[in-house]
Formats: sequence, structure tokens, C-alpha cells
Amino acid sequence: MTVAAENRESVVAVTGEFATVSDYFALLKPRVMSLVVFTAVVGLALAPGHIPIATAVTALLCIAVGAGASGALNMAYDADIDSCMSRTLGRPIPQGHLTASTATGFGVTMAIGAVTVMGLLVNPVSAALLAFTIAFYVLVYTLWLKRRTPQNIVIGGLAGALPPAIGWSAVTGSLAVPPLVLVAIIFLWTPAHFWALSLYRTSDYVRARIPMLPVVAGKTKTRRQIVIYTILTVTAGFAPVLLGFAGPLYLAVNVALGTWFLVQSLRVARECDSEREPQARRLFGISILYLFVVFAAVLAEQVSGITPFQPLIAG
Amino acid sequence: MNDDNERQREFERARKMRNYAIAGVLLFLVALFFVMTIVRLGGHVAD
Repeated sequence: MTVAAENRESVVAVTGEFATVSDYFALLKPRVMSLVVFTAVVGLALAPGHIPIATAVTALLCIAVGAGASGALNMAYDADIDSCMSRTLGRPIPQGHLTASTATGFGVTMAIGAVTVMGLLVNPVSAALLAFTIAFYVLVYTLWLKRRTPQNIVIGGLAGALPPAIGWSAVTGSLAVPPLVLVAIIFLWTPAHFWALSLYRTSDYVRARIPMLPVVAGKTKTRRQIVIYTILTVTAGFAPVLLGFAGPLYLAVNVALGTWFLVQSLRVARECDSEREPQARRLFGISILYLFVVFAAVLAEQVSGITPFQPLIAG
Repeated sequence: MNDDNERQREFERARKMRNYAIAGVLLFLVALFFVMTIVRLGGHVAD
């Protein structure tokens, strides 16, 4: 029996009767949720047309709850893995505060609630996109890909990339090129971000038998892939300018932070300390900063009314 | 015996907090649906 399988048995043996509200809150992966909501806000702000403030808040609430539901269902299924990894050992299920079945019930209830409320109070397109995002994260990433292929976070990253499209569709009831460009930026950003993490958490993934790229293909290949995906991310970051929905502030931010992101990925590629991986740790932080600031620039231009460049490519 | 009483108190405290949280969520949903109904009715609210 594997360590993960033994842990699964011990994890499901707890009663969960002492679970507190903060345990349930931790199931929602609040830090992931905050980035999801933020990127959805950008999609919502970028969309043409008017949306009543109450509808916008409802849409963001549904996206937040949907993301939380995905997190809870992921923690329920991955409780055995989480209890093998130092990064996730403190989560409520490995700690014995909650059972996996309770977390499943909580996640399913919230997922159905979020999609239903989105459909009833916002519009059917955004509800369908939200349902697709939750299903993709839980079924495709968590249940199927995560334990089977080193491409898990590449393909699974689509779930985390979709919130700007949901935000946009909450306003327009449809999809268009600009939100899909934002989706593409997050999609291309995800591998460099998570592979940086997996470089300095490799022993965790080995113990949990998760086929992350450094475990399966080695650290050298992972470093090379990180550089490739960083180049792709920063290059895709210029698309909003070329397509005419971002202006000078965004361009300056993408050039400055994109250069920093890229330089740091090259430092990871040349890393000598493969034990502590200080450059990968730094890249992990810089990748979050890059995504946050680039999206904040889109938002700032929308709010302040900075005129975007004329499109060089027809969108 | 004291341990049992302490566990019982801890269990009841956790359950009480969960119940308050569920009540809060339900009240919030009632308020949300009310506000959104008014928003959707818009100018036709007096019709």
C-alpha cells in the first residue's frame, strides 16, 4: 500500500465533529480565490456595456463561491496527497478537523448554489462558463490529470485562467477576443508559476507520487520549460496592446515586469543550488507579482479612462 | 469525566458557530435575492 493510500484511510477515519467556521473557510483556498476574483474583476471592467452594481457584485460573489467550491472538492479528493506534503499538511482534512465526505458535500452544495444563482441573477452564459470551470478543475485536473501526467498543471491551468472570461460574459452575455486574450495570458503563465514551486518542493511531490515535471523529467528540463513558458507569457502580454484594448501604462508595466519575470526565469535556469532553490522561490513570488500588476494595469486604464493604442491586429 | 465535559463543550461551541454561519449565509441569500429582484424590476417596480 502506498503512503498516499495509507493516508487516505487514516484521513477518512476522523469524525470532523469539531470543525470550526475557519476550517470551512480554509477549504475555500482563500488566496487562490482572491486571485480568481481579481482577474474576474478585470474581465468585468474591460467588458463594454453597463452592468448594475448589484449584478456585478452578485457575479463576483458567484465566481468566488465557485472557486471556493472547486478548492473544497480538490481538498476532499486530494486529502491523501495533502497529508504527504509539508506545504498542505496543515489543511483541515489532513489535520482531522473535517472528513473528506463533509468537504465533498460542502463543495458540491456551493458549486450548485454558485452556478444556480449565477444563472438566475446574472445570465446563462456566465453560469455555463462557471459550471465548466468548476467541472474542469475538479474532473479534468483533480480527478484525471493531476496524478497521471506532468502536463497536469499545463492543461488544468485552463480552469484558473477562465475567470476573466466569466467576468466579461457577466456583462455582455457572450464572449469576445479581449477576455480570451486575458485567459491565454493566465493559461501560459500557470506552468512557469507552478513549476517554480515544484522545483523547491520536489521531495513533497516525490513522496506524494505526483508526476510533476521535476519528478518525471528532472530539474534541468523543468528549468528550460520555465524559461519557454515565461517567454510565451510575456509575449502574449503584448497582445492586449496589439489588439487595441490596452494603452501606455499597460505596455510600460508589461515591458518592466515582463523583463524582470524573464530575467528571473533565466536565473532559475542557471541555478546551482538545486537543494534549496532560492531562485525558484523568488520566481514563484515574481510570477504572482507579474500577473497581479499586469492585470491591475488593465483595470487602472479602464478606471482612469486612459485611451488604448490603436489596434495593429484586427481583433 | 472532566475531559468528556470539555470535549462536549468544545463540540457544542463548534456546532453553535457553524449554525450561526449557516444562518448568516441564508440571511445574506434572502437579502441578495430581494435586492436583485428590485434591480431586475428596475423602473417597473411600481407597475
